[in-house]
Amino acid sequence: MELSGFLQNVLNGLAIGSVYAIFALGYTLVFSILGIINFAHGAVFTLGAYFTYTLISGQFSDNGLLKGLNLFPNGSPLAGSAWGFALSALVGSLLAGVVAVIIERLAFRPMRTRSADPLLALVSSLGVALVIVNLIQILVGAESYSFPDGIYGNLPPALLFHLGDKTIIIRTVQVIIFAVSMVLLLILGWVIGRTRTGKALRAVAENPGTASLLGISVDRFVIITFFLSGLLGGLAGTLVGSSFGIAGPYFGVTFGLKGLAVIVLGGLGSIPGAVVGGLVIGLAEAFVPAQYSAYKEAVAFALLFIILLVRPQGLLGQAQIQKV
Amino acid sequence: MEFLQQYGFLIATMLQQGLLGLSLYAPLMAGQLSLASPGFYAVGGYIAAILLTNPAFAGWRDSLGYGIYPLTWLLAALACALLGLIVGVPALRLRGIYLALATIAFVEILRVLSLNLEITGGAVGIFAIPQPFGFVDRWQYLWLFLPLLILTLLFFRQLSKSRTGRAFRAIREDELAADAMGVSPTRYKVLAFVIGAVLAGIVGSMSAPFLNTWNAKQGTFDASIAYLAFVLIGGSRSMWGPLVGGALLSALPEVLRGLADWRLVINGLVLVVASLYLPQGIVGSLSRKPKPPTRPKPPTLNEGPSGPPYTSETT
Amino acid sequence: MKRTLSLLLLSALSLAAAQKVATPIAIGIAVAQTSNASLFGQEQVIGAKLAEKFLNARGGVGGTPIKLVFQDTSGDEAGAINAFQNLISKDNVVGIVGPTLSQQAFSADPIADRAKVPVIGPSNTAKGIPQIGAYISRVSAPVTAIAPNALKQALKINPKLKKVAVLYAQNDAFSTSETGIFQQTAKDLDLNIATVQKFQTTDNDFTTQVTAVLGENVDLVIISGLANDSGNLIKQLRQLGYKGLIVGGNGLNSSSMFPICGQYCDGVIVAQAYSPTQSSAANQLFAREYKAQYKKDPPQFAAQAYTGVQVFVDALKVLDHKRKIADWDLGELRVALNKQILIGKYKTPLGELSFDKDGDIVQQAFYVAQIKMKDAKNGTFVFLK
Repeated sequence: MELSGFLQNVLNGLAIGSVYAIFALGYTLVFSILGIINFAHGAVFTLGAYFTYTLISGQFSDNGLLKGLNLFPNGSPLAGSAWGFALSALVGSLLAGVVAVIIERLAFRPMRTRSADPLLALVSSLGVALVIVNLIQILVGAESYSFPDGIYGNLPPALLFHLGDKTIIIRTVQVIIFAVSMVLLLILGWVIGRTRTGKALRAVAENPGTASLLGISVDRFVIITFFLSGLLGGLAGTLVGSSFGIAGPYFGVTFGLKGLAVIVLGGLGSIPGAVVGGLVIGLAEAFVPAQYSAYKEAVAFALLFIILLVRPQGLLGQAQIQKV
Repeated sequence: MEFLQQYGFLIATMLQQGLLGLSLYAPLMAGQLSLASPGFYAVGGYIAAILLTNPAFAGWRDSLGYGIYPLTWLLAALACALLGLIVGVPALRLRGIYLALATIAFVEILRVLSLNLEITGGAVGIFAIPQPFGFVDRWQYLWLFLPLLILTLLFFRQLSKSRTGRAFRAIREDELAADAMGVSPTRYKVLAFVIGAVLAGIVGSMSAPFLNTWNAKQGTFDASIAYLAFVLIGGSRSMWGPLVGGALLSALPEVLRGLADWRLVINGLVLVVASLYLPQGIVGSLSRKPKPPTRPKPPTLNEGPSGPPYTSETT
Repeated sequence: MKRTLSLLLLSALSLAAAQKVATPIAIGIAVAQTSNASLFGQEQVIGAKLAEKFLNARGGVGGTPIKLVFQDTSGDEAGAINAFQNLISKDNVVGIVGPTLSQQAFSADPIADRAKVPVIGPSNTAKGIPQIGAYISRVSAPVTAIAPNALKQALKINPKLKKVAVLYAQNDAFSTSETGIFQQTAKDLDLNIATVQKFQTTDNDFTTQVTAVLGENVDLVIISGLANDSGNLIKQLRQLGYKGLIVGGNGLNSSSMFPICGQYCDGVIVAQAYSPTQSSAANQLFAREYKAQYKKDPPQFAAQAYTGVQVFVDALKVLDHKRKIADWDLGELRVALNKQILIGKYKTPLGELSFDKDGDIVQQAFYVAQIKMKDAKNGTFVFLK
């Protein structure tokens, strides 16, 4: 492969991979604390995108209970500038975080106190996803929505890099997504690695029993975890929505499924693992030759299957000695 | 008759889904959470659909008449047994959620393959599948699903009484101890997995004519989770659980038909409420027996960030 | 006990035998109101409801109003069969418009065919649908016939066209067959197909395909896909600097694409089975009312669902002249209705149409339009001669 083609694929892969990473991070945070996989995470991703859309546009289409509704008849105060979009994305993601906390309260907490089969959490979270997706459809219909123009200011739609006589072209929105994701990951890494809250969080993840003996309120950290998870999911949804539009209520389903592949590849419950897993799968997909693009969807799962057979703890997970 | 005309498809579907719930219950008897059933179900359906429509098998169909149908069941069973062995031997080194995820990957890979292969009809799938034994109405498929269900239940009952069944239970309760007692976990786990695969494959081969068409949407991740819901909400500790769960949950959207747009919302709420308040499943809550004492209380919180993915056996 | 049972059974049987047609006349609509196919289904619901309103306002069937019975098929096969069985046995409809997806049609249509209930497919474009049985017809043309027109139109706009790139959604049955026609036509017109790229209707990210297309320096791109994926593909093509013409297949014929590609939709040439500007009185009324309610031109899915209902009503009117519909036995009416549907000619929003012997639509006019965007969200199809 030529260098320019190679670099082009790398750039494309990093851009989508960084979204996989922040999305999967939300999955893995919950798993690290509770040992459950929250299948409603894909629905929270979708919800985040819709929240942001509502803030920055507020106009709804021809179907659903809210049809024809226009929250901001004179245009949203947030539309038209990059800062306005940043603010809507932030608030939209925070709202997604709040929803995740509500989900925890309603669908997971009673289960923990009841000491039910942990697998039931899969079913329960699937039920939550079903509720969210169909509520969205009832409210705003199944059609696509896309963010208004100018959400990233007056940047050109694409950036060109010259490499000898070849040109590498990348959409500006891809660069922004990559940058935002990386900044977010750094902040999160700092919070978890350096702050008191982060240390307590890790203690809870490591051993909840001991943590509560040390006076750490486990319940509080479960709430924090779900909030962070929802925030990350919602932001991922917003970023993807800003790039591709919101393709209806089922928008997050493929992400939800692919996110599973990402977290297992990186190592279930491992935070750096989710990042590495996301980037690896993004890159692997970008390098699928165009004529085999039909098999692109299978790449993540083929990697998942192989890694489970070869190194089940994932790329960065630690193999643990079986306690007997 | 009127009743069967209208609800026959639904009743047959309830049995069919109950059978699929049982296909997931089989590996669970040996403590293995596999979500591979939709994959085997899809493979079984494709085998039947291809044998029943592909011009390459026109000769077989002409000479066998209705005999081709039992042949599709047999071939689906054999193919799924083989595939179950190939996938099961390496995959069953994994446990818990890791095995579940590996089997989800298996289902997804099969789905993408069937979407792209020529022989599976690509995106459209295979259609105009002929009907067995002159069946006209959907309720007549009860003649297939009901006997299969009875046979399956009898088989599971005999199985649980047998040495093999005891070995399954031993592994389910404590794999290490079972190993120490001389029960080879690998062998029995693969066996349980293959039983589930064969059952799902046979159901698939009967379902292709039942649905008149077969395509890549038949084996998806959604179905994996749906079958898991059958087992957990019905009850995972008796063979009646998956059956009751499958029948009830597959009927639910139909019962809620009157609610129009809201029916899937209610369906989701039912899943949440049932998993919260029926932790032993419907059958488990109905039976008056005390909880099995051997089962330790599951920890309320998990032990660590990356639970041990390997099974405890040393091989 | 036994006697009561057998009595009940007997009365049930006799009820079934002497089933009269109820008034208002029930027509079944089995489309996807939930699941991800509901994107199309919700447009079909709108189209069908408008048909019910107008046709009843104009006297229904010889004074007897019609009543649409909606049963959600969801997006899967079992859902479609359940919806059909409900409509046939419980709601006692005279006929069914549905289902939304071709795959569902392959599953549910045989049920109606065996029960001798006429079905009109509003949006099933796959090969083999009308051939399912004598009772199955469709008003959704496999518009492969118009693909050549769209390419000729592009050559008219830019006669110097030489190098083309072809892209299509590989997991969509209609798109794969449509691209075959496009590619053949391109060869016939002496165009040089520089690259053929595949994608999935579920894809969002087309950077791989777009990079390949840009590498070939083509001056025409031909796309066969559905609205959402194609919208993203067009947007990314333009953002990454593609300047040439774009021709889209029938899947791009939907205003639901506009919010996705926004300004970038501008100038795309689209082959169509329906045009809001079609001059028939039926269409003028339909398009005007749709626009008044929804502030945009009606999409093809709504027009086809409307047409499905109208075909039933027009055929019922003919039968009503022979004998009042209320006097028919339901089973007899269904059989006669199916025969009438196939021999009739209809003036619908799709223009004048009739059916061939299989029940496939024979449509008089197809259209080529170019998209003109007013702003980021609103645009129109400007029809080209």
